[in-house]
Amino acid sequence: MSKTDATAPAPGAGFDLLHFLARYGTILSLVLLIAFFSFMRPEVFPSMRNMFNVLNQVSILGIIAIGLTVCLVIGQFDLSIGALATFGGYVAARMLMEIGPANGTPMVVAGVVLAVLFMAMIIGIINGALVSYLGISAIVETLAMSFIVTGVILGISGSRTISPTEIPAAFKIIGQGNIAGIPNPVLIMIATALVLWLFLEHTQPGRNMYAIGGNKEASRLSGIPVKRYALVAMGICAACAALGGMVAAANLGAGRPQGVGETYLLNAFVAVFIGASTLRPGKFHVLGTAVGVLMIGVINNGLSVMGVPSFWQYIVQGVLLILALISASMMVLRR
Amino acid sequence: MIAAQARTDAAHASAVAPPPLLEVRQMIKDFPGTRALDHVDLTVRAGEIHALLGENGAGKSTIIKCICGAQPATAGEVLIDGEPVSITSPQEAQAAGIAVVHQHTNLIPELSVEENLCLGEPLPRIGGVLIDWPEVRRRARAVLSPVDLDISPAQLCADLRPDQLAMVAIARAVARKARLIILDEPTAALLPREVETLFAQMRVLASRGVAFLYVSHRLTEVFDIADRVTVLRDGRNAGTFDKDKMDRKSVVSAIVGAETALRERHITPVADGPALLSVKGLHAARVNGVSFDLRPGEVLGVAGLPGSGAEEVLNLLFGRTRLEGGEISMDGAPLKLRNPADAIRAGFALVPQDRLAEAVLHGYSVRENITLPSLAQFLRERVLRLVHGGREKTAARDVIARMNVRTPGTETLIDALSGGNQQKAVLGRWLTTGARVFLLNSPTAAVDVGAKAEIYELIAELAAAGASVLFTSTEVEEFPVICGRVLVFSEGRIAGELHDEQVTEANIMTIAAGESLEQD
Repeated sequence: MSKTDATAPAPGAGFDLLHFLARYGTILSLVLLIAFFSFMRPEVFPSMRNMFNVLNQVSILGIIAIGLTVCLVIGQFDLSIGALATFGGYVAARMLMEIGPANGTPMVVAGVVLAVLFMAMIIGIINGALVSYLGISAIVETLAMSFIVTGVILGISGSRTISPTEIPAAFKIIGQGNIAGIPNPVLIMIATALVLWLFLEHTQPGRNMYAIGGNKEASRLSGIPVKRYALVAMGICAACAALGGMVAAANLGAGRPQGVGETYLLNAFVAVFIGASTLRPGKFHVLGTAVGVLMIGVINNGLSVMGVPSFWQYIVQGVLLILALISASMMVLRR
Repeated sequence: MIAAQARTDAAHASAVAPPPLLEVRQMIKDFPGTRALDHVDLTVRAGEIHALLGENGAGKSTIIKCICGAQPATAGEVLIDGEPVSITSPQEAQAAGIAVVHQHTNLIPELSVEENLCLGEPLPRIGGVLIDWPEVRRRARAVLSPVDLDISPAQLCADLRPDQLAMVAIARAVARKARLIILDEPTAALLPREVETLFAQMRVLASRGVAFLYVSHRLTEVFDIADRVTVLRDGRNAGTFDKDKMDRKSVVSAIVGAETALRERHITPVADGPALLSVKGLHAARVNGVSFDLRPGEVLGVAGLPGSGAEEVLNLLFGRTRLEGGEISMDGAPLKLRNPADAIRAGFALVPQDRLAEAVLHGYSVRENITLPSLAQFLRERVLRLVHGGREKTAARDVIARMNVRTPGTETLIDALSGGNQQKAVLGRWLTTGARVFLLNSPTAAVDVGAKAEIYELIAELAAAGASVLFTSTEVEEFPVICGRVLVFSEGRIAGELHDEQVTEANIMTIAAGESLEQD
């Protein structure tokens, strides 16, 4: 009885600041950041062109982070997404080079993209199988997998970057073209977000994944094949990482065998964890991840248009992440 | 005159029984909302093996924690050798000569016996730096010498038998000058032969003046070893018996108290007819040839001490643990249950014992908790498997209404509900899967009294609607309330079957302890 009274929100208790900040704190800070940068550099920052710039800059990170969200929903970590992004970009470029840039029709490019997504998904499913059926720690297993993938790419590439002349134009359009003025990478990010949002929130498999993240044993006792879902989640996460890597390669117009994915790995985790303290404190979700990704984009872009040295970007990002985590943990503690 | 008289009395008393080593006087322990100990007295004499009995929640663990300083008592006195003492930490308990050996002994399995015996004490050093291992071994041998153990100090604790582990823990306590050793269910994991060796060693130590306070559910063992018995019921003293006055009947009635009045029972008569569920020769790790039939509308109890196999039968029927042999059939059709998903498809439902760890999705809404096993019924189509939110919500509302779950709405977080309402939602989730056999394991654990009665009523309603219920509980007093028939388990077998007015706590406890009912 007394427990119910303590936890139920008292009706008409007025404005609960902590509750408000835990839910809307990240969105509020995003708005404040945009307002701040717009005030500091009104002629540059708030322009339409710069806004697209921000979106374009974060699109690859966004694709990878949204995939990572699926993995974290079931309570597993994936540290191989950086290596898988490099894998995606390099393997797609390499396959197209072997086919020959002159033969690179849109159909061929589409086939190559699908083939790379398929390969990445297989790697992700292997991750999931090792983690769930053998019970290996996901952090260590995916770290090991990232070494293997990195090594294989370095081996087959001989550390040689595939140059723009070896890659067909139909592939570069993925990263450099636009539709109705909206850059293609942004459209791909939005499409990825929409599909995975729909999947996680409104389909049976997605809802089951949330259930697994909430209570594994209760899910198993409700007939949900808990282990099999780890394969699905890590497969989706790996495919998104490779997709992000392919967009990066297309944007760059080159297939680099190293130094592509690493930059996204940690930022993706930052974005997803900022997201988990947005609107639904303590839960990973696509909309939250999108807010986290935008926040990283706005900070980086805003600080650079202000001419602030780039080391500040790291410091501001770190501070914001800690604040976000504090607000989320306070909500969880209060429950 | 009076003083002289008192002296004579004392002299007389000491001739009959040794002086009290530990005295607990009028101990009270309050928890928010409940009084766990209510003016409890307990006296343990030197060299005595004293058993502490009582049902779950009677206060046995609480009084042990208060004696050894793990929890502060609200009021009351603890005396050692007649001197009041204040024990607020394990260190002070050790200094006072009190040691506790838990069911899972406080030994670290990955370390050797000698390393465990040195834990928490300064190690002998060579030149103040390197550990002097030969000296460590000498000390370990000295510690183990009072007990008759055929082990080497270099053996890993993980390689020892449970009774050897218990003896190592007891030897360590004795070496640290413990005069009272509290054993919390030491025999739960032991085989009968191992219990015998443990008891023989305890008797040797007791004859040298070490006192034991021994907590157990196994009555037969208690009669075998204990010099005296103290029974607690609902946090109060319910009787103390000396060895010559210990008879099974009076001890059991002290443990169970007044039997449940008939009007408090929620039992619907079962019509004769073919069985819904039929189980033949079930074999598994802790189940040894169990057969029974369950009819539609029946609430069948499976009772037994922890590890007796009663609870395990529920897990086997739900595909949670591996079946090694036997047949399970529903409506005459044989079933193969490899996992919970198979069991759910076959029409089983499980309410597990630990609601918080095994049943509730924390941080999710009441709706999401109710439709957890049945989302597949609310799909718009079979390809993308999109869930029809409206139909899902309607189903959740139906369950909330039928189970009388008190919640502000379907979207309220389950964590905001009281334990009883959470449990009603957990039970109600199986209405959506069309379950026909409900496996209920302690469904009223950690819910308040009012909600308990409601849950009994709901179980009776499920049965009245034609479902079958297989019920088990850690609280024996629940069986007479809702079960018209009870199978009592002992050592993996059905040791007895009770019907109607035979279903009493005393009968269940007697059979569960491995004894037969008197023919009176």
